[in-house]
Amino acid sequence: MGIDSFLSAAFLIPLFQTTLRSTTILLLTALGGMFSERSGVVNIALEGMIIFGALTAAVSAQLLEAPYVAQNPGAHVWWIPWVAVLLAMIVGGFIGWIHAVVSIKYKADQIISGTAINLLAAGFPSLVLAYFYDNTTASKEVVNRLPEWFGFSPLVYLAFALVPITWYVMFKTPWGLRLRSVGEHPEAADTMGINVFRTRYTAVIISGILAGLAGAFLSIGILNQFVRNMSAGQGFIALAALIFGKWHPLGVLGSTLLFGFAKALAIQLGGTDIMPPTVIEAFPFIITMLVLAGFVGTSRPPAAIGKPYEK
Amino acid sequence: MRAFGGKGVLITIWGTLDLYGRAKAMPDVSWLGYFTVFWVLLAVLAVVFAFLPEARTRARFYYILGLVGLAVFALEAYLFYHAVWAANNAALAAGARRPPLKRYSLSLGAYVSFLYSLFLLMIGRMQLPGGRALLVRWRGVVVPAVSMLLAMVAGAVVVWVLKDVKLPEGAGLLNYYTAKLDLVTYTFQLLFGPLLTASGWFQSLLIATPLIFTGLAVAFGFQAGLFNIGAPGQLTIGAIMTMLVGVHLANAHWFAGLPDGVARAIFLPLSIIAAAAGGALWGAIPGWLKARYGAHEVINTIMMNYIAASIFLFMIASNEYTFFGRWTLHMPFKYPGYEGRSYEVAESARIPLMVNLFGFHQDASGAWTGAMSWSMPLALVALVVTYVLLRRLELGKRLLVALGAAIAGYLVGGFLPGIPMQLSPKLASVRLNGAFIIAAFAVAFYNYYMWRTRDGYELRAVGLAPKAAEYGGVSIAKKTILAMAISGALAGLAATHYVLGGGIDEYRLKQSLPTNVGFDGIAVALLGQNTPIGVFLSALLFGVLLTGGLQLDLQLGISRELVMMLQALIVLFIAAGGFLPRYFTDPILAAQAEEGAKGVI
Repeated sequence: MGIDSFLSAAFLIPLFQTTLRSTTILLLTALGGMFSERSGVVNIALEGMIIFGALTAAVSAQLLEAPYVAQNPGAHVWWIPWVAVLLAMIVGGFIGWIHAVVSIKYKADQIISGTAINLLAAGFPSLVLAYFYDNTTASKEVVNRLPEWFGFSPLVYLAFALVPITWYVMFKTPWGLRLRSVGEHPEAADTMGINVFRTRYTAVIISGILAGLAGAFLSIGILNQFVRNMSAGQGFIALAALIFGKWHPLGVLGSTLLFGFAKALAIQLGGTDIMPPTVIEAFPFIITMLVLAGFVGTSRPPAAIGKPYEK
Repeated sequence: MRAFGGKGVLITIWGTLDLYGRAKAMPDVSWLGYFTVFWVLLAVLAVVFAFLPEARTRARFYYILGLVGLAVFALEAYLFYHAVWAANNAALAAGARRPPLKRYSLSLGAYVSFLYSLFLLMIGRMQLPGGRALLVRWRGVVVPAVSMLLAMVAGAVVVWVLKDVKLPEGAGLLNYYTAKLDLVTYTFQLLFGPLLTASGWFQSLLIATPLIFTGLAVAFGFQAGLFNIGAPGQLTIGAIMTMLVGVHLANAHWFAGLPDGVARAIFLPLSIIAAAAGGALWGAIPGWLKARYGAHEVINTIMMNYIAASIFLFMIASNEYTFFGRWTLHMPFKYPGYEGRSYEVAESARIPLMVNLFGFHQDASGAWTGAMSWSMPLALVALVVTYVLLRRLELGKRLLVALGAAIAGYLVGGFLPGIPMQLSPKLASVRLNGAFIIAAFAVAFYNYYMWRTRDGYELRAVGLAPKAAEYGGVSIAKKTILAMAISGALAGLAATHYVLGGGIDEYRLKQSLPTNVGFDGIAVALLGQNTPIGVFLSALLFGVLLTGGLQLDLQLGISRELVMMLQALIVLFIAAGGFLPRYFTDPILAAQAEEGAKGVI
């Protein structure tokens, strides 16, 4: 395969599609993470939340469809993937709530608390898979995946629609102002009568819900099953995209598009002799490091981030 | 109240549960009822004593109750094992070929009564003035212990939910719950089971060896206020470097003429240093990025884990890569064959197995025979005795002399006639190797460097109060890079266990290199509260649990991931301070609580 084939439609169209899909996961996760971090809670647990969301969506969809599929192997029931997505969001929110309780109420080191959740996400799914499917690596394949509208899953449209919505909520509503003030100067916010704890709880739970949604997209939107460690660091890349995007929805859109493109390029070049796949797989991570070192110097995190609030 | 695990017979206070008709011989436990009455009485008395007016009398009575409880527990345990023994002997006397009761154990009821007695003793201490201050002073033990207990309870709930017991029909709800409780108890018995056998200890030490390294690595970072999640990547690069030295340098043709002893003296230390250097490099990069550009080390170390994994795969998955359809890169690292693995480490760079170090060798029939050498024990004794006796000497000299004494002891031991004996194949099959000794030295180094040198003091100062340290003349940037480099080196040394010591069954780099032990190091460091002895003990604890996890998988079909889940929960609960009151976790409040005996709180 020569260089010229880069520019062919056969290469560019799948590249475009894969870029949007990869971006969707990062965008949903990073926008969720923005709520948490803007309120002053570091959320390194995004990776684990994606995994829990993906697990919930795949397992619940498979269990829900089991009676239908038993009668007709190709049975399509429209509501099943949506219920699965809803459950994934609930579980994601629940994991967010755990992170919130430990790091807000018990004032734990937020990075350690998040790491614990990531470790939990590395071990717990195997127990669930062993219980339902007698193996520890993958779930059964799901027939009723998320539908596609005009070539893309509805969640892709939702992710991009969330960018202006998040921007509006964050910068044009009283609640968004309160959220940001809690992350910048919780003492002042508290003096003004804002409930710091409740605001932070809500923000962290929202980030869990969105990460769970991203996980559902991963397992029943892109693939059709849960595979162990399927998130493969995308939660961390989303976190880096959030920092690179300067904790702003538009910045996050730009940075997730960049990272999504890098990942898509890696996938598209995977089978070719242009670059060895192992080298390409490292690209997004190297870019992330370069970005963090070189360009982030000017971006300023929320002032109270990482600090538990003492009333 | 007494149980035989798995598919077996369960003896409870409401009768014997023999659901599978397996009881061949039963121990005589007719005394069980009396003890049950006793424990109920004990509980009632404990409640009554709470209403005694005087603290001193309350404390005294609780002490008595607790001690009596412990004594009764010991009596019970003795009676139980005696009954089993008697039943076995009776069966043997009646002509059975082997003892019918092979696996038996105390069950939940017994453990609970034991813990309850300890709890009563603690309550007794709490009645006296200064009781809470004492607990707070011991918070370095109390917080991990409570977190550990909570994690075990959570693990028990998970096993309860996920693992069903299949009883014959009509077994009844009471029996069902009893059997389930026993299943949970048996799960933990299996997890802690390796503590009961010599080969179990050996296997646990084997699994603990890399955990000690990674636990130290994470703890080292924590002491300097850095969170090093990069141990997996540092381990990987350490493994690659040690492979390059141990395989490609040691096998290079221009060293072919070296005598064995000389080659060993050169390449073994060199390969170990290479592992440390690889890890140090991979740790220093995020340290430098933080010092120079302020990029947070957590995200960078995570990114470098993935990059290291890519490099690792790149090197051992294939020997030929094409770039842009034109240029082909040839590499010499992958061993021919389907599986991705490197060539074997040269004999001269291998770390000997522990059984070899103790003077045992496998003979032609496969049995492990030899004379137990005096070298290792003498070296250890010489080291400890000299170190303790030379308390007057300056620390550096003291260490040097102690090390010299250890070497002398090793040599003297080599000339003494050993004790001939034969090892059981089970014990000899455990591949515990010399890397464990390196790990022990790493623990000693951590203790020495962090608490006995100026550099270590400055590092801890940076971790506790960066601004104050900077004001005192410490360069935070330099300390950050240094701390990350040493932390990385410690993680990299874990590779010596896997590659040079044959920790993954072969003396080579394999795709199955378990880099996840780098993450396990976080749990080890937190459970050990970043102290040298704590890291060592918690690594050993996880070694035991992971060894027991194998049995768990074999006997009950519960995935070994349960242990991973316990680890994660321990990290979570310790982060939350064990859900204990604030004066256990906040240093200032803790100091006040310790003073509480004198009436500050």
